[in-house]
Amino acid sequence: MIEVKGLKKSYGKNQVLKGIDTSIAKGEVVVVIGPSGSGKSTFLRCLNLLEVPTAGEIVFDGQLLTSKGTNINKLRERMGMVFQHFNLFPHLRIIDNITLAPMKLKGMKREEARERALTLLRRIGLEDKAEAYPAQLSGGQKQRIAIVRALAMQPAVMLFDEPTSALDPEMVGEVLDVMKELAQEGMTMVVVTHEMGFAREVGDRVLFMDGGYIVEDAAPSQLFSNPQHPRTQEFLRKVL
Amino acid sequence: MPEQKNTWEWIADIYSQYHMILFEGMKMTILLGIFSIVFGVLIGTLVALLRISRYGIVRFVAAAYIDFLRSTPSIVQISLVWFGGTQLFPTIPAMFGLPSVFFYGVIALSLNSSAYVAEIMRAGIQSVDKGQMEAARSLGMPHRMAMRHIIMPQAVKTIIPALGNEFVVVMKETAVVSTIGVGELMYNAGIIRSITFRGLEPYLIIMIYYFVIVFTLSKLVGLLERRMRSSDRS
Repeated sequence: MIEVKGLKKSYGKNQVLKGIDTSIAKGEVVVVIGPSGSGKSTFLRCLNLLEVPTAGEIVFDGQLLTSKGTNINKLRERMGMVFQHFNLFPHLRIIDNITLAPMKLKGMKREEARERALTLLRRIGLEDKAEAYPAQLSGGQKQRIAIVRALAMQPAVMLFDEPTSALDPEMVGEVLDVMKELAQEGMTMVVVTHEMGFAREVGDRVLFMDGGYIVEDAAPSQLFSNPQHPRTQEFLRKVL
Repeated sequence: MPEQKNTWEWIADIYSQYHMILFEGMKMTILLGIFSIVFGVLIGTLVALLRISRYGIVRFVAAAYIDFLRSTPSIVQISLVWFGGTQLFPTIPAMFGLPSVFFYGVIALSLNSSAYVAEIMRAGIQSVDKGQMEAARSLGMPHRMAMRHIIMPQAVKTIIPALGNEFVVVMKETAVVSTIGVGELMYNAGIIRSITFRGLEPYLIIMIYYFVIVFTLSKLVGLLERRMRSSDRS
């Protein structure tokens, strides 16, 4: 579903991604781990072109994203993204946070968009918050809403950029549960996270990144119990 | 014995004799202020948009415009617009019962104000968290749509108070166009001074006029601000 070839990204002289080659299959849950500064967030943000790659190719559903003529907006409609800091729209009610994009971009009628949003909210148990503003919610609630907001566009892939890193510890679980459920439904997911438990339990594959490269790429059972690369071993020793 | 009058008597005297001139001046001051504020905001918004354009050359031109207007005295700008404008371009005729020079005053004041308005707007737009634009774009919204529905509604909350302050400044700044002969309060006070040979009282009187105008305006602005804030639940 996503093919990445020779992906490089530099900020001035600072090369953050030094050549990433990987592919993500439909329905796969790929978890990206690694020390901070390893380029994992940059890699994720390149996938929906929030960061423009310096070199390399990204092919999504047979379409070359990195060519000039690509309609970035159309592409992004099919790639949902969840951010570390939620980025809900503070001036809009929860319901409007969710329905704005489907209405404006997919021409969905207000009633239909509303119905669908309420269905999604019901699934995460936050239907009663539809008329609230983001500031009235806890971090965990905000992040679950942010996931729902992305899902409302019916994306083919979901990108998660450290979705639990800004949360109080007791709220991490509720967000991971929603993500787990999503994975079980067959959603294609790329998740940058520090939650090793989630990686082990939900991930189909784990990518360990360091210094702008993918150092190791393996099934979680393999990578966590028997890491091959010394850098992976060192990293896991520290975090586990 | 004409010189026996004290200041209070002079004020009463001048007011009863010249209140029509003062009233005309007040009308002119208010009109000048309103026109300049409106055009200042319109031009300023345009300049602000250019100021955050994705094209470097456009940004540069807008920044140069802003810096230039902010770094030269408004009284010089006003003289330039009036004396230079009438010399270089066809003269704007008197219209709607307003003299020609009035329009030059409005042009100069609104150009001057537009630089400040542009900076206020740019600062307001850039005060919105970067993540907001990213979230909007990641949903597939084009830049313009994200600006309109996500960024601007949040930016106005920082823009409105600063803009209100700018309105107050412009209203006071109108006094400067008396130098090119727009018959507003300051200019008309000068006329009264030269008729009566009284330097104190005409200016005391127009100070009250100014105070009432500007104070009312700033209260209105404050009211607007409070209404904005009460609708802000974030």
